[in-house]
Amino acid sequence: MPVTIAVTPTLGIPQKPLRRSSSDAVLGGVAKGFAIRLGVKERTVRILFAISALFAGLGVLAYVALWLFTPRSGEDHSIAQQVSMNRRDKQLLLIACVVALVAMFSLNPFSFRLGGTFAWALLLCLVGLFGVWRGSSIDERHHLGDFASAVPIVGSATARGWKAVVIRVLPGVVLVVVGLNILNRIGGVWGAAVPALLGALVLIGGLLILFTPWWLQTVRDLSSERRQRIRMQERTAVMGHIHDSVLQTLTLIERSAASEADVVRLARSQERELRQWLFNPEVFDAINNGTNSFVGLVGAIEHEIENDYGTKVELVTVGDCATDEGISALAAAGREAAINAAKWSGASSISIYAEVETANVSLFVRDTGKGFDVNAIPADRQGIEVSIKQRMTRHGGRALVRSTVGSGTNVELVLPRRATT
Amino acid sequence: MSGQPRVFLVDDHDLIRSGLRTELAGSVELAGEADEVDAAIEMIVERAPDVVLLDVHMPNGGGRAVLQAVLKTNPTIRFLALSVSDASEDVISLIRLGARGYVTKNISGPELIDAIYRIAAGDAVFSPRLAGFVLDAFSSGASEEAIATVDEEFDQLTPRERQVLRLIARGYSYKDVAEELSISTKTVESHVSSVLRKLQLSNRYQLSNWASERHLT
Repeated sequence: MPVTIAVTPTLGIPQKPLRRSSSDAVLGGVAKGFAIRLGVKERTVRILFAISALFAGLGVLAYVALWLFTPRSGEDHSIAQQVSMNRRDKQLLLIACVVALVAMFSLNPFSFRLGGTFAWALLLCLVGLFGVWRGSSIDERHHLGDFASAVPIVGSATARGWKAVVIRVLPGVVLVVVGLNILNRIGGVWGAAVPALLGALVLIGGLLILFTPWWLQTVRDLSSERRQRIRMQERTAVMGHIHDSVLQTLTLIERSAASEADVVRLARSQERELRQWLFNPEVFDAINNGTNSFVGLVGAIEHEIENDYGTKVELVTVGDCATDEGISALAAAGREAAINAAKWSGASSISIYAEVETANVSLFVRDTGKGFDVNAIPADRQGIEVSIKQRMTRHGGRALVRSTVGSGTNVELVLPRRATT
Repeated sequence: MSGQPRVFLVDDHDLIRSGLRTELAGSVELAGEADEVDAAIEMIVERAPDVVLLDVHMPNGGGRAVLQAVLKTNPTIRFLALSVSDASEDVISLIRLGARGYVTKNISGPELIDAIYRIAAGDAVFSPRLAGFVLDAFSSGASEEAIATVDEEFDQLTPRERQVLRLIARGYSYKDVAEELSISTKTVESHVSSVLRKLQLSNRYQLSNWASERHLT
């Protein structure tokens, strides 16, 4: 008849019989079972086990023994009974004992002094745990499996199979044993190793305290020096630019204060230049240091129109590409269209839109000025025909000029991109 | 909204504010103005104007901080970003935070008033430059075929939206766009609003990092 016990200990009230807890067992549920049996707190029992473990491993031994000989709550037989009922388990346990003894004596000259009685306790525990593993019920084994996978070394290794445990744990154990043995020879763990380590740590600490401030200071000096130098360089660049452009323009504006058109033109052009310098450095470079990109070419058109004709240009660009013969022709045709718009349309502003797509490069020039009749251009006026249309067709592109008298002109220039670019 | 929209000005330059005041006087109702971030947030929340004209570049986090703080509590207040700079990352990030449009400070008075009325009516205001930024942002990076297979609905513009944006970038007004494509102005406005929504919802890598990428290349 299985005996089930209370789930929690009631303080001051001992409850019979002694059973290992199955509900909140960490390992075998011995501590919990004991706490319930004695009517004390679980933690008290655990602390007692831990303290007694310091005396030649007594606590651990007691724990394993109780694990073996106390039935689990809800089960009829203790693990020891279970093992004794099975012939094969009995034999295996016997073999384990023999293996343990042999191991003990063969390790004796090697590291026996290290543990003394601890070593005996340890071996007995190992044998006991082997018994636990053989004789425990399926349910408990399951619980132990969960526990094993939560243990640092064993857990991560078991997740990769037992082979991994052997490969990683065994060499580790051997190295630890050998290391302890070496320490033993030079005067024991407490005699030599610990003082040596402590001494080394103290020495390192002292050196750190002595030298860290000096080292940090050097590093800080270096980086602050570097930062200062960069700041100086930037400052020089900004000052140079402001002097070259902004101050000059302001002087010009002062001088031409009488002419409203000039002031507006100067302010616009300075604003545009500053904007490019700040936000579109590549366009700025392109315009000022030789143009090599499409956007740079278009930016140059904007610059020219605003400076020479005083017409505001609303320029929008999408994408960019390097120039070649075709792109230059496209820009030249666009320039012609923009100049026409600035000269003849009478509009106060014109819009230029440049777009680089995968397949095409396009340029649109638009004004909302007077407009004209496309079919009524005198034959001797070659601007649109030669400078725009023929130029585009020569490079494989097309030009479309649309204009309505009274509402403005649209020029669309499209150039297919070469496969190689 | 009845009659003139109530407009609030946020700008840290006195000159710009007084200039705007003069231009707008009579055409809109001025609900107040502020020259720094914290005051702006407090007063906008208190006065709940229809439209806030917001300077992008202000100390202490600038226009962005105002936009975020106000929209958190009053999502119905509409923002029109106003800026001298053409730094695309500022513009795109403001739109993504919820501004309904962007114009540069050298916009003419009547154009600005028109833009304010549009914003107050719930439309989006795309200046040619903003349209260019958006086209650039949506077309940079991978080729168009690759985008179509990988990205989500928000991450690409429909051909029609692209067409509309292109015309705006070329300097067409909404009315001109409508005429050119033989659609109604309302339809143009709905296309633009949908682009704005995509801009705000899209998680496209190119959109969030577009500006910095552009400066690298």
